[in-house]
Amino acid sequence: MTDLDHDAQASADPLLAPFTPGMHGNPPELAELTRNDEIVPQVVIPLADVKTREFVEEWHNASYNCYSSGHKFCREVCPVVTETRNESWSPTAFHANVVAMERGELTIEDVAADYVNCTGCGACELRCPNTLYTGDFYRFRTRTVDVVKAARALAVESGVHQEGYRSWNARTAERSHEPVLGEVPVGQDTVRDWADGLGIPVGGETILFVDCEAAFYRTSVPRAVAQVLQKAGYEFGLMGEQWCCGGPAAEMGYVDQARTFAEHNLASWRATGTRRLLVLDPHDYISFTEDYPKFFGADFDLEVVLVVELFAEMIRDGRLVPDVAVDRAITYHDPCRLNKRKGIWKEPREVLRSIPGLRFEDVDRVTQWSYCSGAGGGLAVEKPELTAAISARRLDHAGRLDVDTLVSACPWSERPLTEAGDDVDIDVLDIHELLATSLGIEVGGSRGETGDRRLAQARTGAMGRVRRTKGARGPGDAPSGAGSGDAPGGAGSDAAGSGAGDR
Amino acid sequence: MTIMLEDVDEVVRALRTVLADEQILTGRADRFNRARVPAPFPVHRWAERVPDLVVLPTSTEQVAAIVKIAHDLRVPVVPRDGGTGLTDGAVPLRGGILIDVKRMNQVHELDLVNRTVTVGTGINMLKLNEYLAPYGLFYPDDPASYPCSLVGGRIGTSGWSLIGARYGHTRDLVMSFDHVLPTGEVIHVGDGIGHKVSKSSSGYQLKHLFMGHQGTLGIATRATLKLFPKPEAELSPFWAFYNYDDAYACTGALARAGVATFAGAVLFDEHKVAYLRRDDEAYIPQPNDVRALVCAVMYGWDDEVRAGGRRLFRIAKEHGARYLGDEISEGDWAARHDRYATPLHGRTKDGQVVPMSWHCEDAAINYSQLPSVTRAWHEIVADLRRRTDVFDDWGMFAYTQGSTGVDYLTEIDVGIWEQQLDDRAWAMWVDAKRRIARVTLDHGGSISACHGSCREGEVDLVPEELGRGFDLMLDIKRTLDPHNIMNPGKYLLDRAYPEEG
Ligand SMILES: Cc1cc2nc3c(=O)[nH]c(=O)nc-3n(C[C@H](O)[C@H](O)[C@H](O)COP(=O)(O)OP(=O)(O)OC[C@H]3O[C@@H](n4cnc5c(N)ncnc54)[C@H](O)[C@@H]3O)c2cc1C
Ligand code: SF4
Repeated sequence: MTDLDHDAQASADPLLAPFTPGMHGNPPELAELTRNDEIVPQVVIPLADVKTREFVEEWHNASYNCYSSGHKFCREVCPVVTETRNESWSPTAFHANVVAMERGELTIEDVAADYVNCTGCGACELRCPNTLYTGDFYRFRTRTVDVVKAARALAVESGVHQEGYRSWNARTAERSHEPVLGEVPVGQDTVRDWADGLGIPVGGETILFVDCEAAFYRTSVPRAVAQVLQKAGYEFGLMGEQWCCGGPAAEMGYVDQARTFAEHNLASWRATGTRRLLVLDPHDYISFTEDYPKFFGADFDLEVVLVVELFAEMIRDGRLVPDVAVDRAITYHDPCRLNKRKGIWKEPREVLRSIPGLRFEDVDRVTQWSYCSGAGGGLAVEKPELTAAISARRLDHAGRLDVDTLVSACPWSERPLTEAGDDVDIDVLDIHELLATSLGIEVGGSRGETGDRRLAQARTGAMGRVRRTKGARGPGDAPSGAGSGDAPGGAGSDAAGSGAGDR
Repeated sequence: MTIMLEDVDEVVRALRTVLADEQILTGRADRFNRARVPAPFPVHRWAERVPDLVVLPTSTEQVAAIVKIAHDLRVPVVPRDGGTGLTDGAVPLRGGILIDVKRMNQVHELDLVNRTVTVGTGINMLKLNEYLAPYGLFYPDDPASYPCSLVGGRIGTSGWSLIGARYGHTRDLVMSFDHVLPTGEVIHVGDGIGHKVSKSSSGYQLKHLFMGHQGTLGIATRATLKLFPKPEAELSPFWAFYNYDDAYACTGALARAGVATFAGAVLFDEHKVAYLRRDDEAYIPQPNDVRALVCAVMYGWDDEVRAGGRRLFRIAKEHGARYLGDEISEGDWAARHDRYATPLHGRTKDGQVVPMSWHCEDAAINYSQLPSVTRAWHEIVADLRRRTDVFDDWGMFAYTQGSTGVDYLTEIDVGIWEQQLDDRAWAMWVDAKRRIARVTLDHGGSISACHGSCREGEVDLVPEELGRGFDLMLDIKRTLDPHNIMNPGKYLLDRAYPEEG
C-alpha cells in the first residue's frame, strides 16, 4: 500500500494522478471535494413493518455487497440452481430480495417460499469473489446461509409459514425429536434403542450426541461409532435426556423452538456433569459450533469434538489399526457442512486411506463444491423431489468413476443418496461403518430399508449388487443418448452435472 | 407499453398451451430478480424494468411457440441467459415476457471425430469444459465472466475472449446455431447451411447478423461449437514497469512478435495499479516505484510454449520489464480470468470504504491511440469524481484483441455507489458515458469491443459510428420483426417503426 503523494502534488488536478483515497499526505482538496458533494445522500424511507425493518437493517449491507456485484459466479456451483435453473432461487436473488425489501418493492410474503430452495451447503460463499478477494481486508465474507436463515426466521415471525416446515416443527416440538420415521412415532423412550446390547453408560464427562436421523433411521452409524470408540478404549456415555439439537428448527426459521431445545440439552449436560460432546453428524456440529454459542455466549463452554476428526487422530497415533480388508471401489462424498462450511476434508480422506483393500478414487474438495445430496437446510421436508434430483445428480457424478460404493460422512445425506444409488447400483455407506468393518466390528443396526436390502443381497452373494465392469463409462466412449431429457432435473447428459473437475 | 394486467392473464392462458405451469412465473420476486444485470442499475427505478412474466422453456420448439404467441399478441419478448451482460441487453424496458433460456443446458452431441460439440444455449463454458476434460478437449471461449455467462448470451453479445488472440472470439468458435426469429419461425444459421462448417462462401454470411444483436433479432437455442485440444501448458508471466510508457511499448512489442502460442496480453495502467494497491489480495504488493504492469499469456503444448515464452521474456527484458515471479504470475492470471478479481468496494475521495457496483467501458481502440484515449477517459471520470463520491476511478486495462496487436479492448473500470443514485447522479453518469463514447469515435475506435453498445448514453452515438449501416440495421429489424416485439427499446431500433412514435 502506498500513498503515491508526490504524484498527486506534481499534477495541478489531484484527481488526474493516481492516488490512494484516505492516505495522509493526500492533497487537502480531496477531502474538501467530498464535503461539497453534489449528490445528497439518499434518504431511505424507513419501512413501516418493524420486523422487516429490523431484518433489513441487519442484512442490507451484506446484501448490497452482493447486489452491487451481481456477477453470479456462485450460480453454477449452487446445487439448487444446477437442478432447477431458476434464477429466483439463486444466492444472487436471496441477497437482491433484501435490497428490494428495503426499497419497499417486495415483502416477506412475496419471497418466503423462494427461500425454501436452499440446502445451506455454503458453496456460493466459497465461490463468491467477495469472499475470495476482499474477505480478509474488509473482514467481510458473503454469508448467504445466514441470510437465508434470517429470511426464514422473519417469515415465521411474520406468520408466513411453509406447510411442510410448520408441521415438521410442530411434530418435533411434540415428540422432542424429528419425525424421521414418518408415521412411526419417535421419542425419548426409543432414542437409545440403537445402542441395545452395547452396554454404554448414561451421562459422564464425555457424551456421544446422536442426531435424530442416526438415532432412529440409520442406526448403523451410531452403532459403528460407539463400537469403534469402545475398541479404542475411549470412555463415553449417552446423553441423560437427549432432545433434537434444534438445528433443523433454526434452519427452517423456528428460532424460539430451536432455542428451547438448546436450553433443554444444555441443562441435561449440566445435570450429568458433561464437559465434552462427541458429534458424529455434521449438522449437529454446525448447531453446537454456531447456533449454541450464539444462544448462550460464553456460557456454552463445552468442548465439541467431531468424531471423524477424532478417528483420524486415533489412526494417526496407532490407537486404531484397521486391518480387515474391505473389497470395495469407493469414492468419497464431501458432506457440505464439513467441506464447504467447516473446511474439514482432510481427515475423512485420511480415515479412508487407512482402510486396507479399498480402491479409493478421490474427487478433490473444490470440484465437490458443486456436489450436494440435497438433504440439508430443510429442503427434503418441503421439496423431497428436489432433494431426490440433487442426490441423483450426485450419484451420476459417482457413476462416471470406476466405483461401486459412495462413502459419505453425514447420516442425513445417506438416506436420499442410498435411494439414488439403488437406481444406478451403487452402494452408499457411511465412513464410520466402513471403518468399523475394517476394525473387525460386526456393526449391526439398520441402514434404512434400501440400504439393508442392498447389503443383504451382497452378503448372501445374491445377484443384486455386482461390481460394475471396470472402465464401463470411461472417456473415449461416445457419450450416450445426449439430449434425451430436456426436462430440468433429468440428470441425463446435462453437462452442468459433469464429473471430472477442470478449473 | 408495458402490457396491462388483464392481458397478462390472456398471455398466461396462451402460454399454458405450450408450457407446464411450473415453467411460467408471474410472482413479483420472480420478475424483480430478472430485471437487472451487473451493469450500473438505477436501483431507485427498479420497478420500471421488471418483466410482466417469466418463462423457462426447455426446447427450441417451446421457445418458438412462445415467440409465436408473443408475436400474435404483440407482446414484448426479452431473451435472458446468464444475466451477466454489461450493456443491459437482458433488462426489460417495456415489460412483456422474459424468456429465460437457462434450462436449455444439455449437451446434445459430442463429435469426437470432427471435434465439435452441440449444446443448448443455456450451458455455461466452465461446466462444458468440465464435461469435455475427460476427452482431452476444451472450448476456449474464455471471458472474464467464464464461470457465469452462458453460450446464448455469448451469441447474443458476440462476446470477446481473453485468449481470443490464440483461439478466436465467440464469433469464431460458434460454428452454427438454431435460431428462433421474432415471428416464431426457426432457422439454422452458420457458414452456409452447414452445422459443422467453419468457412463457406455460399450466399450472404448470415451468422454474424444473428450474433451480437442483443436479443433484438431472436433467440439462439442450440449451438454447435468448435473444440480444441486441452492445452498442456499455460504460461502467464507478469512484468512490472516504472512507468506507463515503457509498459505500453512492451505490450505492443509482445503482441507484434508473431508468437503462435500467444493468447493475449494485458496492460494495467497507473490508475489500475494504484487501485489494486488499495486492497486487492490477488495483487501482491509491489514497491512504490512499480507503476504499470503487463501480462502475456501463452497456451499450447509444453515444447512450443517454452520456445515462445523465451522469445517473449527476451522482448520484455529489452523494454525494461521486471519479472514478478512464477507465484504471482500464475496466481494473478488464474484470479483475473477465472473469477474477475475486482474488489467490489470503492472509496470516497477522503478514504471511506463503500460498496460500489462495477462498470466496465469496453471500446475497441487501435494500439496507436491507447495513450491518448487513456488520458481522455480518466479526465471524464475525474470530472465525475470532482462533483460527487458516487463515482470512483478503478483504472484501466488494455487487452489485445487479435494476434497481430492491431487493436485493443480498452476498458476503464468505474465504481458506482448505486445506493446513492438518484436521477441527477444517473444523468451525470449517462452524460459521462456519452463523452466516453465520443472520445472513442474521435480516435477511430468502436464503442464496444465485447459487451455491446446499447446502454443509455453510449447508444446515442451508435448511428454516428455505423453511418448508413445504422439505417440498414433499421431496415433489417423491421423486416425480421414487423411488430417490434423482440427486446424493444434497445439500440434505438424503435426508429425502425416511425408510425409507432
Ligand atoms: C465479471 C464480468 C466479466 C466480464 N467479462 C467479459 C469478457 O471478458 N468478455 C465479454 O465478452 N464479456 C464479458 N462480460 C460481459 C458478459 O459476461 C457477456 O456479455 C456475456 O456474453 C453475457 O452472457 P449472459 O449469458 O450472461 O447473457 P445475458 O446477460 O443474459 O444476455 C446478454 C444479451 O444477449 C441476449 N441473449 C441472451 N440469450 C440469448 C439467446 N439465447 N439468443 C440470442 N440472444 C440472447 C440478451 O437479450 C442480452 O441482450 C463480463 C461480465 C461480468 C459480470
Ligand atoms: S453470492 Fe457472491 S458470487 Fe453470488 S452473486 Fe452474490 S456476490 Fe456474486
